[in-house]
Amino acid sequence: MPGEIHLQELTKRFADVVAVDGIDIDMPAGEFFTLLGPSGCGKTTTLRMIAGFERPTSGQIVLDGVDVAQVPPHRRNVNTVFQSYALFPHLDVAANVAFGLKYQRCTKEERRKRVAEALGLVQLSGFERRKPTQLSGGQQQRVALARALVLRPHVLLLDEPLGALDARLRKNLQVELKALQAELGITFVFVTHDQEEALTMSDRVAVMNGGRVEQAGSPREVYEQPETVFVADFLGVSNLLSGEATAGDDGACVLRMGERALRAAQGATASRGQVKAMIRPERISVEPHGTAGDNRVPGLVERAVFLGNAFELHVRIVGGDILKTMVANDGSATDLEEGAAVTLHLPAEAVRVLAPSEPAAAEEPATAS
Amino acid sequence: MTRWFRNPWGKPRWLVVVTALYIVWSILPVGIAILFAFNNGRSRTTWQGFSLRWFTGSTGSVLHDPALQGALKHTLFLGVLCVLVATPLGVALALGLQRWRGRGSGTVNTMMLLPLVTPEIVMGVALLLLFLNVFPGLGLGTKAQAIGQVTFTLSYVVVIVRGRLVSIGREYEEAAADLGAPPHDQLLRVLLPLLAPAIIASAAVVFALSIDDFVVTQYLSSDASTTTVPMLLYATARGAPTPALNAIATVTLLITLATLALAFFVYRRFAGGGQAAVAAALEV
Repeated sequence: MPGEIHLQELTKRFADVVAVDGIDIDMPAGEFFTLLGPSGCGKTTTLRMIAGFERPTSGQIVLDGVDVAQVPPHRRNVNTVFQSYALFPHLDVAANVAFGLKYQRCTKEERRKRVAEALGLVQLSGFERRKPTQLSGGQQQRVALARALVLRPHVLLLDEPLGALDARLRKNLQVELKALQAELGITFVFVTHDQEEALTMSDRVAVMNGGRVEQAGSPREVYEQPETVFVADFLGVSNLLSGEATAGDDGACVLRMGERALRAAQGATASRGQVKAMIRPERISVEPHGTAGDNRVPGLVERAVFLGNAFELHVRIVGGDILKTMVANDGSATDLEEGAAVTLHLPAEAVRVLAPSEPAAAEEPATAS
Repeated sequence: MTRWFRNPWGKPRWLVVVTALYIVWSILPVGIAILFAFNNGRSRTTWQGFSLRWFTGSTGSVLHDPALQGALKHTLFLGVLCVLVATPLGVALALGLQRWRGRGSGTVNTMMLLPLVTPEIVMGVALLLLFLNVFPGLGLGTKAQAIGQVTFTLSYVVVIVRGRLVSIGREYEEAAADLGAPPHDQLLRVLLPLLAPAIIASAAVVFALSIDDFVVTQYLSSDASTTTVPMLLYATARGAPTPALNAIATVTLLITLATLALAFFVYRRFAGGGQAAVAAALEV
């Protein structure tokens, strides 16, 4: 199946700034691949290099076995949906969608058929004669999609295509985009800074930071098994713990934090010395004050944030650090007000020892973030 | 009266008064000049009744006096020629300058603005010396006048078109390239249609500048056949003036205003926002 991309040692320098720093990524054909990261992490530059708008400083972009790094954009079999859609304002919807067909050998009749098909695919039949300015944001986004898909590319590049839409429309389009990708079976390369979007839509996510790939894997892998502090911190909410790793049993290690010790059974448990470990708020359970057992720490509720379906508790544990935890609003949590004494259970199999991030992940919060 | 003037919650009244005075002061002479174009007599100072004799009368009118006719035709001819040469050249320059990033581009950008601030008399003398000493083969006359006008109107085209280019950005070209359009199609199918309002506006500005120009056109003229309306007005104002001069001035003014109004509306109609560039240009 066509649509396979390998980025090899891909680097882009702008004057003194290294935007993309020798990344290697494999994007399997037919998958929904997401480049996720904060602004300035190099994800958009990477996408623009795949599209051909930026020329790599060095490295290869292998598309279906051919290095296209030096091929101009109009000769690449990839198409882009731009963040601002970039619909041609002087052309109507049909002419926008038909724009690229001029460069594919097809008859007038076929051209008309394909435009109609593409507009049908994005549910915009009947809008042929409208001008882009007469469409809503969501409709413009669909036209941009149709304009790219009508050319039957092997790879579709999407640069934060949902960024300009309101929350509800965004949710709907997330589902539609994912369904469309599954239906067409072509490779989607999606750029976003929204971790929720990345987790819900992707087959595979590459988390980028400072021009490098921190971690790539399925959404579950990067969320549940973050390898670096940056990934743990960027995806979802996590509690970060600092401590000294010492040997434990059963392949686990023991994390010493002052007089307290926690067993950690996940991640880089072979590390020794000062390390960071993380645990997700939803994996911490809140128990009545004084409950005994392993991996339990006492603390005081400092803040209880009502979220509707749950409470987010900020618990200050002995030693001063704050851990965030979630308690479902199931009617039992009546006494979890500020100042209440509780015991937190941090199961060993939910405590994950992290490899240190590249220096680019500059500020590492000492505790919860 | 004092309450109207001193009301601290109202608009600053003295500004209103100053503005009103200025408008009257600036329009009055033009209004009087236009009024006397319709005078039914030879006087340009004493009103002798309304008439169109200086526009369409059988002798000495704009329509029938050979000198006036010649000047008007030559003025319009130069205007059209200047538009046809300066506009495409300016668009090409603007596109080139916009794409050119690197050593020297800043200097060239600044130099493009020089003709806008150079005193016209300096430009006129410089061009005259150029045609007399460096390119004597070309000679003075229509050709020299056209080249001179193109020289200083070109900058206006570059400034207006570049303003539009900046607001368009690179994304539409990238989208076209992405859809398979080779570079010349990116230009023809996307960039030029998007630039059309700015191109039309700058063409109108060039035309208006050309038909109003006196200094450069005067310096580079050769004989009576290369006299333009402004030159004619200057030359005859002290000789034997008749209201026909007012009439031809009125005609020129109307053509200028109509051209600028057309440009303004075309620009506003098609470009939506970003009228600042043309508005600034129109105020020159």
